[in-house]
Amino acid sequence: MSPQLSLTLQYILIALAVAVSAWVVFRKQAPNAARSLRIALALPLLREHRPAWLRAFGKRIAPAPKASADGCGGCNNCETGPSS
Amino acid sequence: MSTASQTLRLALVGNPNCGKTALFNLLTGSRQKVANYAGVTVERKEGRLHTPGGRQFALLDLPGAYSLQAASLDEAVTRDVCRGFYPGEPAPDLLVCVVDATNLRLHLRFALEVRALGKPMVVALNMMDAARRRGIGIDLQALQRELGVPVVETVAVRRDGGKALLAQLDAMADHLHPPAPRDADDPHSDMHVELHAETRRLLALAVTMPTRTARVDDALDRWLLHPVVGLLTLAVVMFLIFQAVYAWAGPLMDGIEAGTGWLGDALGARMPEGPLKSLMVDGIIAGLGGVIIFLPQILILFAFILVLEESGYLPRAAFLLDRMMAAAGLSGRSFIPLLSSFACAIPGIMATRSIQDPRDRLATIMVAPLMTCSARLPVYALLIGAFVPDEKIGIFNQQGLVLFGLYAAAIVSALMVSWVMKKWRRDKSEHALMLELPSYRIPHPRDVLIGLWERGMIFLKRVGGIILALTILLWFLLTFPGAPPDAVGPAIDYSFAGRIGHAMTAVFAPLGFNWQICIALIPGLAAREVAVSSLATIYALSAADDDAAIQALTPVISDGWSLATALSLLVWFIYAPMCISTLATIKRETNSWKQMGFAAFYLFGLAYIASLVTYQVAVALGAG
Repeated sequence: MSPQLSLTLQYILIALAVAVSAWVVFRKQAPNAARSLRIALALPLLREHRPAWLRAFGKRIAPAPKASADGCGGCNNCETGPSS
Repeated sequence: MSTASQTLRLALVGNPNCGKTALFNLLTGSRQKVANYAGVTVERKEGRLHTPGGRQFALLDLPGAYSLQAASLDEAVTRDVCRGFYPGEPAPDLLVCVVDATNLRLHLRFALEVRALGKPMVVALNMMDAARRRGIGIDLQALQRELGVPVVETVAVRRDGGKALLAQLDAMADHLHPPAPRDADDPHSDMHVELHAETRRLLALAVTMPTRTARVDDALDRWLLHPVVGLLTLAVVMFLIFQAVYAWAGPLMDGIEAGTGWLGDALGARMPEGPLKSLMVDGIIAGLGGVIIFLPQILILFAFILVLEESGYLPRAAFLLDRMMAAAGLSGRSFIPLLSSFACAIPGIMATRSIQDPRDRLATIMVAPLMTCSARLPVYALLIGAFVPDEKIGIFNQQGLVLFGLYAAAIVSALMVSWVMKKWRRDKSEHALMLELPSYRIPHPRDVLIGLWERGMIFLKRVGGIILALTILLWFLLTFPGAPPDAVGPAIDYSFAGRIGHAMTAVFAPLGFNWQICIALIPGLAAREVAVSSLATIYALSAADDDAAIQALTPVISDGWSLATALSLLVWFIYAPMCISTLATIKRETNSWKQMGFAAFYLFGLAYIASLVTYQVAVALGAG
């Protein structure tokens, strides 16, 4: 691997780490906004005429349905539940 | 009433900390949060329960309540659901009143209140294993006969601990009968007096307390609850805890520091030079190592808290301090959360869930960040080491006295802030402190270890989650964009954080803060202790960790900063709301952006004004 390629790879990894970190902070600090953003991103990908792989990707980024009282026990694990 | 074909609704009710949520989890297979402090459940939770007889029940886990005469929001939820007044919530068909078998004096009183509702009910005597271990004898038949409702034993923490309750539910599901009315249920009688009298009668009839335990309790309480001796004992206990936290944690902290240093060196030696190595070594390992290093202090503090909690002393400490704290707008229940905040404000704020009164709880949340958390110690150590001579005043070390003064200033400030908040809201009401005073007992090592494990895992999960993410982002802000080829100053000047730091001097110059300090305040937003490492980076010193940074930084800042600037920065760190996680916890616990904003604003305002006054006075006195 050439030094230039190695440096490029390093910057790609750093960009990924920074993007994931920014997403984690956003999701933890603003869970409702993060959920809305995921829905907004997923909806266009889930339309009927989209290719199957795009729809599958849309399903992956779509948030899970909000848990009902049975499922969400306010355990704080998801950090979006009610304070208990 | 035939109920075979319908799903009956069951509600678990009881005093806080009687094991309702543990029983709920046992019966439904759910994994609700369980803790050994009161107030874990503040709203109703629902699950499904299948009995061995093939029946299905909808099971509600209601918030703990000391009385159906609600004194807090969560108690109001319990009261309204039980009575069938809760909007959109059908009244439960059957109430399962969970009582702590080791503390029947308090819990039976509530069971009698629930009984007076006139709904079908079962009393679940929970923690029967613990009661037996302590030698408490309970005559189930007598209790059942006197209460007029079925009484069953449960041990919520055992897999088969709900067997008797399930059998009872199967047996009575087809024929639910309300309890027969009794004299104590007369609405015209003085309810409190009747309840106490009836509780005493039931205890005399059905419960045998070990005389030795009662004698020991009385003898200890005579001293430990004494207005003078009790407070002195509490002060000594607190002093010993803080001594131990700082004295015992040292070797462990050194070990962690050496471990992270070794990891950084080993990884650095194997990675090629470049930004990725900087991220791993200077960012992630140094950053997380700087946070993990405080794990021993946190565990030692929690070990003491758990031992005191298990021994039955903590509620007594809260009782002792109630009057003093009430004068400052807090309550005795604030004591434990504020004590926790000396390790970190986050568990302290979370511990306020046990405070029933919402105003007391909010006041405690607001002042918890003022307690000197362990993350401030590296900053204090750095500045005291640089500016306070290592000399003795009498038998006391001058540096130690300054450190004590900083802690005392934080405590006094917290009491003053809560007092002002009380005056501000014109709150003249008295909130009676209702606390369980359980029997003293020797803590079980297993319980303490489990508690420590849970606390440790919570902390480590945070380190691996939000703190890791913030560390990476801060490293990015301090590293990019890089310096231009013709740069003359350090690269950090050109980074995002560097530029922000220079811009911040316009606001912080009146406090004596130079641009380097301003930059250090940015990563301090994630964790206060990071300010030390950041200062070292800013001054272009190659410090691998906080201690090394302190050693190298001391001469630099003692030469470069004035005493007035150092004092101003010390005062800043007493008040400053420089911890995003604490603010996020305030938001989560109050469920209010407004309260979080208020906390940030008042802490920032207090820090700014106090630092401004300190700096200007110090300059006027010639320390500038």
